[in-house]
Amino acid sequence: MGRSNVIIGFWIVLLAAAGLIFITSLSEEQSLTGDKAEATGPSGSLPVEEGVFRLSGNAVEFMRLYNSGIQGHMDINGYYSRRAFPGAPPVIPHPVEEFPENMGKYCLQCHGKGGYVAQLSAFAPLTPHADLINCLQCHVPVKTSGTFAASTWIRPAAPETGRQALPGSPPVIPHDLQMRSNCLSCHGGPSAPVEIRVSHPERVNCLQCHVPNEGTSNKNTIWTR
Amino acid sequence: MPVKSYIAFPRVGMKEQLIEVLKKTPHCEVMPALNKDVLVLVTDTADDQEEEALRQILYGIKELAHLNLVSGYSDKINQTDEKSSEHDNE
Amino acid sequence: MTMNRRHFLKKAAAASAMAAVAAMLPGVLFASDIESDHFPPGIDWTKAPCRFCGVGCGILVGVQNGKAVAVKGDPNSSVNKGMLCVKGYHQTMCISSADRLTKALVKKHGKYVETSMEEALDLVAAKMKETIDRHGKDAVAMYTSGQSTIPEGYVASKLMKGAIGTNNLECNARLCMASAVAGFLTTFGADEPMGCYEDIDHANVFILWGNNMAEMHPVLFSRLLDKRLTRKDVSIIDLATRTTRTSKAADKSILFKPQGDLAIANAICYELINNGWVNKSFVEKHVVFRKGKTDIGYGLEDKFAFKDEAQPIDFEQYKSFLEDYRPDKVEALTGVSAGDIKFLASLYGNPNKKVVSFWCMGMNQHTRGTWMNNLVYNIHLLTGKISQPGNGPFSLTGQPSACGTAREVGTFTHKLPKGVVTNKKHRELAAKIWKVPYDRIPDKPTYHATEMFRAVDRGEIKFIWIQATNPLVSLPKTSRYRPGMQKKSCFIVVSDVFPTPTTDVADVILPAAWHIEKSGLYGNSERRTQYWDRMTDAPGEAMPDAWMTIEVARRMGYGDLFPYSKEKHHEEIYNEYRQFHAGKQHNMAPLAILKKRSGVIWPYIEETGKSTLWRYNSKYDPACDPDKDFDFYGNADGKAVIWQRPYEAAPEMPDNEYPFWLNTGRVIEHWHTGSMTRRIPVLHQAVPHAYVELHPDDARQLGIVNGQKVKVISRRGTTILPASINERGLPARGQVFVPFFDEKMLINDVTLDAFCPISKEPDYKKCAVRIEKL
Repeated sequence: MGRSNVIIGFWIVLLAAAGLIFITSLSEEQSLTGDKAEATGPSGSLPVEEGVFRLSGNAVEFMRLYNSGIQGHMDINGYYSRRAFPGAPPVIPHPVEEFPENMGKYCLQCHGKGGYVAQLSAFAPLTPHADLINCLQCHVPVKTSGTFAASTWIRPAAPETGRQALPGSPPVIPHDLQMRSNCLSCHGGPSAPVEIRVSHPERVNCLQCHVPNEGTSNKNTIWTR
Repeated sequence: MPVKSYIAFPRVGMKEQLIEVLKKTPHCEVMPALNKDVLVLVTDTADDQEEEALRQILYGIKELAHLNLVSGYSDKINQTDEKSSEHDNE
Repeated sequence: MTMNRRHFLKKAAAASAMAAVAAMLPGVLFASDIESDHFPPGIDWTKAPCRFCGVGCGILVGVQNGKAVAVKGDPNSSVNKGMLCVKGYHQTMCISSADRLTKALVKKHGKYVETSMEEALDLVAAKMKETIDRHGKDAVAMYTSGQSTIPEGYVASKLMKGAIGTNNLECNARLCMASAVAGFLTTFGADEPMGCYEDIDHANVFILWGNNMAEMHPVLFSRLLDKRLTRKDVSIIDLATRTTRTSKAADKSILFKPQGDLAIANAICYELINNGWVNKSFVEKHVVFRKGKTDIGYGLEDKFAFKDEAQPIDFEQYKSFLEDYRPDKVEALTGVSAGDIKFLASLYGNPNKKVVSFWCMGMNQHTRGTWMNNLVYNIHLLTGKISQPGNGPFSLTGQPSACGTAREVGTFTHKLPKGVVTNKKHRELAAKIWKVPYDRIPDKPTYHATEMFRAVDRGEIKFIWIQATNPLVSLPKTSRYRPGMQKKSCFIVVSDVFPTPTTDVADVILPAAWHIEKSGLYGNSERRTQYWDRMTDAPGEAMPDAWMTIEVARRMGYGDLFPYSKEKHHEEIYNEYRQFHAGKQHNMAPLAILKKRSGVIWPYIEETGKSTLWRYNSKYDPACDPDKDFDFYGNADGKAVIWQRPYEAAPEMPDNEYPFWLNTGRVIEHWHTGSMTRRIPVLHQAVPHAYVELHPDDARQLGIVNGQKVKVISRRGTTILPASINERGLPARGQVFVPFFDEKMLINDVTLDAFCPISKEPDYKKCAVRIEKL
């Protein structure tokens, strides 16, 4: 037993090294477009990781709901069917009041805290960015299934899940965190698609073990001095 | 079906020769570092007999100075792990 | 499955070994093949400005196996800081439309025949040359776009004005930004805003003049909302003729009667003076007062001509002029209570509040658009709230390069890349850089946009080349200009990415490369120039508009003026163009800098490598006289002008026969005439067709229910649309609103082609209609 602990310890060291590579590559990619010289005003409105802990207060409740036996109907295919490509803002699959008194409040009633919606037999998905309240800026309803002209658009493949550096090690985050920095909104809670639901929502510091790696831009995946 | 990866260090000045030898060795995949005298070796054998045979071959390669096991995997969970650690820092 | 798993195990084992090596030997490098294998398939992200509106968000386009597969906001762009709107996210999907134009089409015996690009360009050049030979230079014209790239606009200007020698060059930016330009030039002597988007981070009050920012400039509006959320002292005031998403999000919504804005602005100035809120030292040092002509007409008749004449006045004369605009006196005219006007004036007049005014088409598409722009500048000049962080008037742009291309390169009949054709010095500079004889550039402007299509209708223009725009959906009164373009008298060439109602009347259709299929530069609302590289290949024989223009110029014998290379022409052209703006007032950043950063605001300061964020303020702008705190150097005396501009009525007002005001505009999902956004399934499915918004009381009175088809009828034409009641927007009683993106429900068949006599920009927001049930 003692021996396998040593081995696990060794793996964690390796993972840390791997993590270093991944994180460095991400920042190098971002610096491609560096516009820092002009960023003299108050800080940007979208720090990439600001939302990680936002729903953490609900984590225990999520655990309870997992165990309550109530099931939503969201699976991973349903999840992606609402997005033109992985990372695109999802469309609104239900009728929506186009002209609410207060758009943010109206949408957040359900998408802020979640909960079961009997009419749709589903749990309301949680927004990862509750501070952005001009909701219809990015999310639009679906009024028709037709198209104006035929399209050859093919939805790109979703990122591969379960990608690990080592067998048994924590999987990497296969997508970027922009607008999606609150992990629990998609991976925790009863509205999360079963395939990507996290088994341990109570361990809220996700980025402690899971590192972002989109698998993008091959040229930047190796760190050099 | 054991899969293992090693860090392989060639004898001084023999990196290219070592790459050539390993390329010809069955069950081996070699990934040389571009800027250092070191290479990564991944082996993939069908069973323990084959694994043992490969180990004998590897030990016999004269261009190889040092072989350092990094990770191992087998369907028989943890067995190869237990074994592999014996070869650590041989 | 086993194979995959085994493959995966091996890759994982290799990766951990590499990581271990990296830990031991920092800096070690392996061939990347293992990585690319390990993480199939790689997406490469490349920066660009968004294809759509004038906000100019930075985007990152994800390309996988040579195809654009995803878009996200560029977190390093200070414009949008990683945010986008629904159009921005889905923009590249239009490339996949099955009806994409990929081959040149030439009309032969009434049918379009696929032709090689070589042959089509030969034909275009031959026709253009033949027309010039037979009918003179002014019988050929080009009509381009605020969506053309800087190089595309530049070569069009060089071909028409420099090579051929005609001022028959216009662009669709006349329909959206001309009043803003005329406003800037008459008040400050130089075009484009003095401030930048960073003003949003500093201001306390945002006053939106007829600007549905939540839908039209959504990312900037989100920045406003973000400020209001994170700071206690921020408020948003919506001043409009229709209740919109913006009104709902604003702290206060004030509705006014169409055309009433002229009186509101003057009434605010009356209040500022009456309450002693004028910044006297600023006004004394930096402002002069003038008045222009009044009763200036509406341009409804062909060949309408107008020239304003400025007369100096003094402060006392201006003050007595404003007596007619005491808030209680204008209540009836504006529909706004004296209390609300006083409230607005108190916001502008409060020395402790920083105020930004935003506007776009509400003020520009206005028969007194230039005046309206002047009047808002008056407010900011009287209070000295201008050219400082968080204080300033901010004219927003509609199109992605209305500033960068249409206004800065100058693809208008009266413009040159620097200055105007009527100015000898400006013509001399252009002739020198273009290497053409100085007298080849004519000194008189010819046709502005509306008049250009009237000239096509009259048979004066016999050849027109339209690039990157769709006038038969976007012109006012298309009920006249569509039959005009169908006449045999004019040979019509249209370059576009998709078929449109304008390509439907073309004699030659040239397939154009879309946004990311070519390299280019755009310039946004805040003077920001943004460069992007080609990311994917254009399908078939589609090519960049600039290259088509160059190919035609060469075929016409102007090859020596267009010595650009196919691969690098955009760079060579930009470097040539940059010479026009050399000097402190409008210096453009070099290409190497533009390639690195998400964008650079001009004037670019070579010494520091920084942008000038606030012009005319010597603290920020090295082009100012350092001895002055403010220097409006666009005018020779360094002073800005406060203009005495009265209220004048709209040309056509509701009456018994046509009892409703018609207002037109956009929705967030669709970009202009919809030729791109309607081909993006997400956007089309959200708003599949146009509609006419009615006030619920008006609908009830007419017996119309939601979704019912109704006729919208004016003196020009009729369109049938479904009624929309209590949906996207809420028009005031007696008004209706129709979005103009739908080529199958052409509202511009109904609109009026009246325009501002100074800017020549049409008013799409006001005409009289009646509504009938089908």
